[in-house]
Amino acid sequence: MDWPPPSRRMSTTRREQNLALLGALASGAVIAVALVLLLLSRANPEGSARLRGTAIDLVAPVWSVVRVPFDLVGTGLGYVGDYIGAASRNRDLEKLTAEQARALQTQAAIKSENQQLRSLLKVVTPERKVIASARIAGASSGGVVRSAVVSAGSDSGVTVGQPVRVAAGLVGRTVEVGSSATRVLLLTDANSRIPVTIVRTGQSALVVGASRALVEVRERVGAETPLVAGDRLVTSGDGGVFPPGIPVAVVVNGGQEPPLARPFVNPAGLGMVLIESAYLPVPATVPVDANTVAVPREAGGGRAKPSIITSTPRATASALPPPPPPPVTAPVVTATPAAPALKFHPKAMNVPLAAPVLSPTDNGRLSAPADAPAAPPQ
Amino acid sequence: MNRTAPYRLMSREERIDWWAGQWRRTLPGLITLGLVVLMTAPIFAPLPLMPQLGLLGVFIWATFQPAMMPPWLAFVIGIVSDLLFGLPLGVNATLLPLTAMFVRGFEARFGHHVYRFDWVMLAAVALVYQVLGWQAARFAGNATGFAPLLVQWLTTVAAYPAVVTLCAALQRRFIGPRS
Repeated sequence: MDWPPPSRRMSTTRREQNLALLGALASGAVIAVALVLLLLSRANPEGSARLRGTAIDLVAPVWSVVRVPFDLVGTGLGYVGDYIGAASRNRDLEKLTAEQARALQTQAAIKSENQQLRSLLKVVTPERKVIASARIAGASSGGVVRSAVVSAGSDSGVTVGQPVRVAAGLVGRTVEVGSSATRVLLLTDANSRIPVTIVRTGQSALVVGASRALVEVRERVGAETPLVAGDRLVTSGDGGVFPPGIPVAVVVNGGQEPPLARPFVNPAGLGMVLIESAYLPVPATVPVDANTVAVPREAGGGRAKPSIITSTPRATASALPPPPPPPVTAPVVTATPAAPALKFHPKAMNVPLAAPVLSPTDNGRLSAPADAPAAPPQ
Repeated sequence: MNRTAPYRLMSREERIDWWAGQWRRTLPGLITLGLVVLMTAPIFAPLPLMPQLGLLGVFIWATFQPAMMPPWLAFVIGIVSDLLFGLPLGVNATLLPLTAMFVRGFEARFGHHVYRFDWVMLAAVALVYQVLGWQAARFAGNATGFAPLLVQWLTTVAAYPAVVTLCAALQRRFIGPRS
């Protein structure tokens, strides 16, 4: 006797086939969802900011704890290393101190002179403020992203786009913020762009990362002046994130194009970093209602589509027997009643006076008269 | 794991044992997540020397226990990796399930192989993974050169024996000697 019966075995096989089919469908769905996520992150890179903040919040405490014994060992080795060659180093340092004491006197004179000149010129220097000092607690050291995770977040007042530095120089800037951890984009990341000044020549340039130890000096103003090895690059203050004067990198080979530079700060040896407030943050833009503000056509302002709006009444007039009350399109600009609604004078917006100016109509939409020459509002 | 009898035919003790052993199903996923977290260690080498441990975990568990590393689990691990590494969401989330699917299909078709062959397979899979990951990151706005990714590919291939030894030990200890 055949047991279990063959029909049952057949159904088992079919069941397996169905399960395999379902599995393949599920796998396909998973891949499709992942591809949609990739598409979304291209369209809106900031979409997952909150999730990212949570992720680094979870992982930073782990490394804060794990790195403690390693830090202790490192500190101990440092103490031992300090005793090796201490005498000769002491002699060198004493010589250096004597030299620097002389330089310091000159600097004091220069500093007071500088202060006088600044007060004469009424120079306003933005206040620099340390937001938080944080321990490095994580990294992303893959081929695509070079970043560090530090253990201070929005609870300490950290936001996206703040400079991160140590005494020796610039580390990077904050890009993702959790409540107690922050991701710092390092200078060596391929997406990092630091506006710098070359101290010797005064040229401005950009320091661009390349996912390796050295960074590239690009977009140099006056590229015909060659850089030499040893040229120091400091932040220029352009862009408003980094305060001017923070050491960034030193050029290692000037003849090459683009010149390569070595960052002053290697995050490998860092324990704590400082997060400063952005130097001159972009002011929060006042939300402007497009319906109440006149926008010159040249500025490509808003959703002005004159041809559609002006053609609509004509079409309705011919189609419908009782013509609707004509929408007030023609006198919108020439009419003085519209003038008080204008918040910006065309002249103030650097627009030629003859240019047609859009202004609100009764139906609340922007309209531009194609036929009526514009006159400046009173 | 190895259910010798249908559930209804088990004695009470057998059922308790069976339920108590269920956590082992999560082992491959947990180990791979642990490897992904290990990749966020605060180590700053001048070159990207950190191996793709998440890829290694998915590859190895898809060969050892295909049923415990389904593509949806690899997808979850991929999402976590993208969030932890600061990559555009979707890079690892696409590539890790593809890896799991590929390994599963390959094993089902051609069966198991000797160790060295798996290593060569991993080298090929990791290279394709790096190329596709490079292009996916570029698509999502993180353009880089490919040379650093080649370095990472080399370290990934070099790290395979250590990770496979660890995973094999865990499999033998907790899941069973047979795969």
